[in-house]
Order: sequence, then structure tokens, then C-alpha cells
Amino acid sequence: MTTLDATRPLDTRPSADNYLTHSRGVLSWILTLDHKRIGVMYLVSVLASFLLGGVFALLVRTKLLFPGEVSWMSAEAYNHFFTLHGAVMVFLVIIPSIPAALGNFVLPIMLGAKDVAFPRLNLASYWLWLLGATCVVLSLLMGSFDTGWTFYTPYSTTTRFGGVVPVVTGAFILGFSSIFTGMNFIVTVHKLRPPGMTWFRMPLFLWALYSTALIQILATPVLAITLSLLAVERIFHIGIFDPAWGGDPVLFQHFFWFYSHPAVYIMIVPGMGIISEIISVHAHRHIFGYRFIAFSSIAIAFFSFLVWGHHMYTSGQSGLMNVVFSAITFSVAIPSAIKVFNWLATLYKGSISLTTPMLYALAFLFLFTIGGLTGLYLGTLNTDIHLHDTYFVVAHFHYVMMGSALIAMIGGMHHWWPKMTGRMYSEFWGRIGCTLVFIGFNLTFFTQFMLGSQGMPRRYYSYDQLPGMAEAFKTYHHISTGGSYIMALGFVITAIYLIHSLYRGKPAPANPWGGRSLEWQCPSPPPHDNFKVTPRVGDCYDFSVVRWDEASNGYIVDRSLDPELNPNAPKRKGHH
Amino acid sequence: MSFFSFQLFRNQRVTPFTDPTARFEAGRFGMWLLIATLAVIFASTLMAYVFVRLSPNNIGNWPPPHMPPLPQALLLSTIFLIASSGTMHVATLAARRGEPGVGVWMVATLCLGCAFLGVQTYAWIDAMRDNMAFTKHLYAWTFYVLTVLHALHVIGGLLPMLVTTRNAVRGLYGPERLAGITYCGMYWHFLDAAWIVLYATLLWGSTR
Repeated sequence: MTTLDATRPLDTRPSADNYLTHSRGVLSWILTLDHKRIGVMYLVSVLASFLLGGVFALLVRTKLLFPGEVSWMSAEAYNHFFTLHGAVMVFLVIIPSIPAALGNFVLPIMLGAKDVAFPRLNLASYWLWLLGATCVVLSLLMGSFDTGWTFYTPYSTTTRFGGVVPVVTGAFILGFSSIFTGMNFIVTVHKLRPPGMTWFRMPLFLWALYSTALIQILATPVLAITLSLLAVERIFHIGIFDPAWGGDPVLFQHFFWFYSHPAVYIMIVPGMGIISEIISVHAHRHIFGYRFIAFSSIAIAFFSFLVWGHHMYTSGQSGLMNVVFSAITFSVAIPSAIKVFNWLATLYKGSISLTTPMLYALAFLFLFTIGGLTGLYLGTLNTDIHLHDTYFVVAHFHYVMMGSALIAMIGGMHHWWPKMTGRMYSEFWGRIGCTLVFIGFNLTFFTQFMLGSQGMPRRYYSYDQLPGMAEAFKTYHHISTGGSYIMALGFVITAIYLIHSLYRGKPAPANPWGGRSLEWQCPSPPPHDNFKVTPRVGDCYDFSVVRWDEASNGYIVDRSLDPELNPNAPKRKGHH
Repeated sequence: MSFFSFQLFRNQRVTPFTDPTARFEAGRFGMWLLIATLAVIFASTLMAYVFVRLSPNNIGNWPPPHMPPLPQALLLSTIFLIASSGTMHVATLAARRGEPGVGVWMVATLCLGCAFLGVQTYAWIDAMRDNMAFTKHLYAWTFYVLTVLHALHVIGGLLPMLVTTRNAVRGLYGPERLAGITYCGMYWHFLDAAWIVLYATLLWGSTR
């Protein structure tokens, strides 16, 4: 393999011929094999789904302003809306958001590779995603579904709404989209690392994507077969989940959560990877505890397969199983806490730039800590009996799935936006958008911890009949709904300034933040081939070789200062 | 238009690997991951089967008195599938050593694969004639679900195998070009192994 003269700066001059302009026309996009274009298509599709799921959420929240029945939304419609909100956000938004959209764009560039290992499979993944999304839309036309996103039997096999089979078909197909992306990433990370990049020299985002991919390929097939069996049972009125035939509905829950608990880590682990990148780059400081962060991703992937039973404490499974699952659940806190402490240690004495991506990363630290710690109350058997199926659970998983995974995704989007589009967005509006989202999010969901601990059950259409609590619940619901509007405003502002930046944004330098990994050493936007020849890499968190360059109005990575690329580099001390 | 779009597709770089050996290695690795994924599908389905089979509701009532034992034809299809795995292996060895006969052995594999499916179809018809209706009991239900799940994977494998066999008959495989036949073989051996485990589990389950 050819390598550059290692110390020569890589060519970062912006060029008229980049991946966006390399070929033209709609077909050049929908048939593209370029991972960057596929990543952008995923990003657009995921954000469109996010808008859809967000509208469903706002409808649900608006209904909850009123304790009793309302004329404009029946209880049935309400059930459909919260179900659709969950299904769209989980299957169409959060699961593909970071790996498929941002990961696709960044992973090969971070490796200095020209593409993922199997570009055609990558395009097929995207088309499968579209097909799956079409099935979800189709289910809306075929009577929709009101099962909750979990499709629990026996309700899902007997509900009179006809959208169940199309939506589980959709989830099945989306699952394969996810599996193929995971396969692609694992092979790419194994086989296409550049010279100098050992396993422990990989950017932590790659470790996170790698761990995620392991979960994707080993857990998602269980969902595929579970949903297939569910569809067969619904069509033929006989199946292993039906006690009338000697089957067991709790078996469905075991199978469902054997996928869906690891799926929670499919959502959060890539987000953690992004946070590792943002925090070290925007604090301009070497990541603290690299190996611990890397191994904790793998540890989380491993534990994720052993804790599914904590969703089922009240399902009647044996007390012994409950105790075992509870104990293993607590152990997940260890790798998660390792990450948080290492991020804090990275920030300590760092030179922190409060850019928009950094604000999102700090928001993540707060929200993930709250989301993670409240998970312990739910993992504890006796408190969970009280909190099960209340708003406390809703608040907890929104803190993790939205406050952490999605906030990390949006932070990552801001982090790599200049790279993807070649344009800078308005920092001023970026900070305002982030602040509104952060405030709105906490108003919405922190309130729900109170609601839940006082006994407000989740998924209820009305709460005016709850003895003695209706007034208190009403106040909390008003605050929560108000928060959701503030959050929506924050996202609208974000959408406006990001779209505005596409047309009016300042041209982005190759390295606007002072990043060190390879994606900051190619032009913004990157050329079709990423790098002409595979570059050699050193320590991708050694920021001492990054310096400000007035001419390009950005940072450059001075490869001649890197002792690993240049044996004659002047000796420096204390940069770790 | 369609020709144009096809050209557009073909004109793009389809692999980031410059070295064909590295590309082949990556392909084999990818196949292993695919097989791991499929193995999880079969393993979890079998686990569900074992769970249902051992549930108190079904102990002593499996197979139910009015239903027959598993069709005898499954023994024949098992022999066909194991044999096809053998011919597949011989074909791959021949290609690797640059010996003649790759085409013949691939045709044999394809025929045995089709024969397997034929016997499976016969077994389903036989079972249905024998009062083993899909919707009558979970014993029948699990039998059809498990065997159809496997048969679907066989059907999915026959299409690439058709292409591989065509290429083999044309003499395209040799020590310099092994990718297609190797991937095809990996998948086929997996289906063979999956069937043996599946059949053994069914046999175990259908004894009282």
C-alpha cells in the first residue's frame, strides 16, 4: 500500500470537484455507491422521520393538557399517536441516526479509506431502510396500529386495527438494513485501517460504531424472527405466543426484549462515541482514559445481551430471575460511569471552546447522568414494582434515548456539518437552539419523573378519574407540554439556521474546530475519493500538533511535529 | 433510461480495496458475519421451539394423539442436503487446485439442492394428508414454521448458486478467481449444518 511522505501536510484546499459536485442528477444520488452521499441521504430521511415522530409527540402532549376527554382527539386516536411516535422514533430515527447517517459519512474518512468495505451492500441498506419506512407509512393507510411500539402479544395478534402486519414487516426490513450496515462497519474497521492505526489508535467514535455493529448483527436477527412469528400468528390465529394453544405470551416479551434491550445500546453507544470526539476536540485536550472508554463500549455491548429481563419484573417471571437480572443491570452502570468520568477528566483543565457541538456534548453529560442514574431506581426490584408502567419510566428512557442518543446525534451533526456541507452555520443561533432544546427537554421530562413517582401511569388518555391526583397531575402535564413546545421551537430554529447555512453560510475551512483525526485533514466537503493515497496516522488525540492557520481561517494538523510521523520532530513534554 | 442508470451504477467504484486478495478476505469475513446473523435466527427459533415443547402445557401431549410422527421423507432430504454439501466442497477444492470438474460438481450440488427442496415439499404434502394441519396444533405449527424457515433460506441460496454454477460451467473459477464459489460454499455448508441441528431438535421434540 502506498503511503504519503508521512510528514507532508495533506491537501486540504477546497476544490470545485468534491463529493457533492462529482456527478449530477437525481440518479447519481439514488444509485450512488459513495458512502458520503449515502450518509447524507440517510441524514435527510432520518430528519424527515424525526419531524414526523415529533409531530406525533406534540399531538400526544397537547392532548394531555386536558385531563378528560377532548372532542378533537378520541382515545383511540391517542393510542395510535403515541404508538406511532414510539415506532417512528425508535425504528426510523434513533437506530439509524448515528450509525447509518453520521457513521456512514465519517467512518471511512476517519480510516483514510475510499469507502466502506461493501459499497453496494451499503446502498442496499439504504434502500431497505426506504422500503421499511414505506411499510410503516403503508400501515397508516391500512388502519394503523395501537399496540405501543413493543407489539406485545396477545394484544397485537388480536387488535382490530389492520396496520400491525405491515408495520412489523417494516420493522423486519429495517432490521436487515441495520444488520447490513453493521456487517459493513465491522469488516471496514477490521480490513481497511490505515497504516499506523492499530486498534488502540482508532478514534473512539470508531470503537463505538464497532461495538454497536456487533450488537446490530447479533441482536437484530432475534427481532426479525420474533416479528415474523408474530405476523404468522396474527394471520393464522395460532402460534407459540397464544396460551390457548399451549404457547406463552411472555415468551414474546423475552424475545422482544432480547433484541430491544441491546437495541437501546445500539442507540446510545454511537452517541457516546460522538461525545468522546466532541469533548476532546472542542476542549483541545487529549482524551482521558482512552483504553477505558474503548473497552467500556465493548463491555456495554456484552452486558446488553444479559439484562433484557429487567423489562419484565412484573411479568410473572421467577423471583430468582428477577434478582439475577437486577444484579446484572446494576453492572451496566460501571462502564457507563467510566465513560462519564473520563469525559469529565478530559474537560478538566482543557481549553474548552463553547461551540454549539460542545454545548450539545455538555447537555449530553447532564442528561445522560440523570437518565443513567434514574435507571438504577428502575433496575431495583422493589422500587420498580411501584414505578413500572408509570411516567417515571417514560422520563427515564427519554433522558437516555432522546436526551442522550438524539442530543449526541444533533451535536455530532453540528460537529461534522462543516465537513458534510462545506458551510459554517450561525454559532449565535446554534447556541440559542441548543439552549432552548436543553431547557425545553428538562421541563418536559423532568416533570414526568414527578408524575411517575406520584403514580401517573404511562399511555393513559385521560387522568381526570385518578382519585385525588387529577389537579396535581394537570399542573405537571401543563409544564411538561409547555416544555415540549419550547423544545420544538429550539428544533425549528435549528432547522432554519442549518438550512440557511446551506445557502448563505460562510465556506467552512477543512478543520474549523481543531480536530486531529483524518476527517479534519481532507477538504470540506471531501472529494469523491476522500484521500488520493491512504495517509499514515499517529495519535489521533494528540492535539499538540494542531495549530491555528490564519490564511485558511481554520486549524491545520502539522504532521511534521508528530513524533510518530516524523522521527526528527522536536521533543515535547507533557502533552498527554 | 434504465440502460443509462445501469451504466451509472457500473461506472462507480464498487470496492475500496486495491488488492484483490484483501478484497477476497474482506468478503469471506463479511460472509462469516452474515452466517453469524443467520445462526442467531435459527438458534433463537429453535430456542422458542424447545421452550414451547418443554412447557407444562405440552408435556405428555406432544405429538398429540391424533397426529402422526414426523414424515419419514425428511431422512431422505437430509441425505440429499449432506450430499450437496459434499459435492459443493469437492467443487471448491477443484477450483482451488485448478483442476477440471468444477462445473460438473456444481451442477450436482444444484441438482441435490433442488432435490432437497422437492423432498421437503413432498414431506409437507405427506404430513398434511396425514392430518397434520398447520392450524390444528403447535406440534404441526412448529414443524412447518421450522422447516419452511429453513427452506426459505435454501431458496434464497439457490439464486446465487445458479449464477455460481453458470460461471463454473463456463470455467470461470480457478485458483485466481475463487470469490463467488467460496461465498456460495460457505452459505451452503451453513444451511447444511443448520438443517442437521434443526432436524435433530425436531426428532428429539417429536418423541414423547
